[in-house]
Amino acid sequence: MLKYIFKRILQFIPVFIGVTVILFALTNIVPGDPIKLIAGEKSLSPEIELQLRAANHLIKVDENGLPLLDENGEAIPESLAAQYGYYISGLLHGDLGNSYQRKLPVIEIFKEKYPYTIKLALVGIVIEIIIGIGAGMISAIKRYSFWDILVTLTTSILVAMPAFWLGMLLQLLFGIKMKLWTGGGFYLPISGAGGAISEFQDWVHYILPAITLASVSTAYAARIMRSQLLETMNMDYIRTAFAKGLSSRQVIFKHALKNALIPVVTYIGIDFGGMLSGAILTETVFNWPGIGFEVYRAITQRDWPIVMGGVTLVVVVVLIISLVVDISYAFLDPRIRYDKAKE
Amino acid sequence: MSQEHLENEYLIYEQERAAMLNNNPSNNGNPLLNQDVEQEIQGPSRTLWGDAWNRLKRNKLAMIAAVYIIFLVLVALTCDLWAPAWLGSPIAIDSGSSAGLSLLPPSAEHPFGTDLLGRDILVRIIYGTRVSLSVGVLAVSISTAIGLVMGALAAYYGGWVDVIVMRLADIFLAFPYILFVIAMLAVIGPGFQNVFIAIGILGWPSIARVFRSAILSVQENDFVSAARALGASDWRIIARHIFPNAVASIVVYATMSIGGAILTESALSFIGMGVTPPTPSWGQMINDGRTYLATAPWIMIAPGLAILTTVLSFTLLGDGLRDALDVKLKDA
Repeated sequence: MLKYIFKRILQFIPVFIGVTVILFALTNIVPGDPIKLIAGEKSLSPEIELQLRAANHLIKVDENGLPLLDENGEAIPESLAAQYGYYISGLLHGDLGNSYQRKLPVIEIFKEKYPYTIKLALVGIVIEIIIGIGAGMISAIKRYSFWDILVTLTTSILVAMPAFWLGMLLQLLFGIKMKLWTGGGFYLPISGAGGAISEFQDWVHYILPAITLASVSTAYAARIMRSQLLETMNMDYIRTAFAKGLSSRQVIFKHALKNALIPVVTYIGIDFGGMLSGAILTETVFNWPGIGFEVYRAITQRDWPIVMGGVTLVVVVVLIISLVVDISYAFLDPRIRYDKAKE
Repeated sequence: MSQEHLENEYLIYEQERAAMLNNNPSNNGNPLLNQDVEQEIQGPSRTLWGDAWNRLKRNKLAMIAAVYIIFLVLVALTCDLWAPAWLGSPIAIDSGSSAGLSLLPPSAEHPFGTDLLGRDILVRIIYGTRVSLSVGVLAVSISTAIGLVMGALAAYYGGWVDVIVMRLADIFLAFPYILFVIAMLAVIGPGFQNVFIAIGILGWPSIARVFRSAILSVQENDFVSAARALGASDWRIIARHIFPNAVASIVVYATMSIGGAILTESALSFIGMGVTPPTPSWGQMINDGRTYLATAPWIMIAPGLAILTTVLSFTLLGDGLRDALDVKLKDA
């Protein structure tokens, strides 16, 4: 067990380094000289430029933080490896750079936004677990029935549909049309996350965005659940259970479901990251005050540090979640730790 | 539909097929699922592609999808000839609003209505076909080309080459796909060309994995050892013996990926990182409709339907090809 966890963490390290190298390259190298980007149209005096370069770890400095000069009096550029080192240590301290427009550290902007995104994603996960697993089970147990065809059709359409469009259709139907038809008697909020000025309870605001965010994932969870359960039902031990004279309810719930659930649970765990990235689209549609909407606003204002900061934050969270899911998987399913340890 | 999701599709498919084959396959209840059942080959067995075509012809959904895709391609190729004359210019920004054409509901003259600037929605959808299809095809061509080379390197040389390529693929796949594309576009800037380049460059790992596992299974065959014994060069063996045997899985995977690339493009255009106005793109048109959701919902409904039907067609055609070519991609 320990060996498996250790191995998994060892595998995680190169991936983490690779991902951060790519992010570092995208943030710091490809866009060109960062000092010119910070300065914009203004021209900087040589001293200030030198200070800025030293502060951004672009040139070597001595212990007093003064720039080191070579024999010609030129500043010595810092090596890329050292720049990457500073980038990683900044990242681990929560430094994601500064916004161009608002002159604030990106992490400060995200600090007040992230609870909304996390809460929305959690509600999405709950929907995914209940509807996805439920629909998949019904579909597999009543194979080829009306319900199975309905689930198969719906999931095929959901995965081919842009989720943001689904969100707008829900807004149109449950927000705008419903209000019209019931004369304002019943409808759902289509914008924002509630708060003091809203006429609704806060939780009502979650309904439509959470359904939108969960739609694609729920469709996949249902399909995976269906195929897993069908596969499990073909196994010998299930035949044995039937042969012992157990009812199909007992066989499905006591024997088949436990094994069939494992891949679905893993999918849902890893998909938390997918939810966080899908949040950019969903939050845009619903003006949800989370990280995704902030990234969208930054895109429209061409404020790239916020965009890159948002991407970096989500990517790092996703990496950590997938590691945690993999490890907890080993606790749940003994076959995993034995198989993988043998490799 | 992201890369990870495509891989899920294969997992689901393999399991369903296994379940189907073990069970009694005489069930006729579900027309959607019944295609998964191994069909008996009818008529004289000919080539791989001949047999595949015979099987594909019997798959009604896949054929409808194929016809629809051919229709879209024809529309995209010929729209300059007839669309503006019929419905007006897709990008004009001056004429419409002043002439009282702004935000008209669907009518005989404007089947899908008009937008704020008085442009016809249908003609913009027609021109959007161009953007979507070309982004889909170009992006998938790029990722297929890179994926083939990487997959071939990994599978054929094995050892440390394999380790490096597959680790690299892991790193790329560790990114949530859409975020990776957004990060890339934040650096190189939005625009039609950059969009397909970004989607294409970042899409290679899945294709590389599919091709790698296809090669590994082909490589076991005696004819590969025979060719090697006869002194054929590495690349000749890959090109002449391995590639033709692995091409079926590539075709299937590429077809399904086009749908994914179209969805990605629409999402990018929706958040303003995709194709830049005034070039019409479906995702961008949906975003235009956000402001007028209450007063002019037709602005966003029609482009969404266009995306849905197009992506669904590529998925269904991919499914059909997979069944027809009998592709097994369990290790993908």
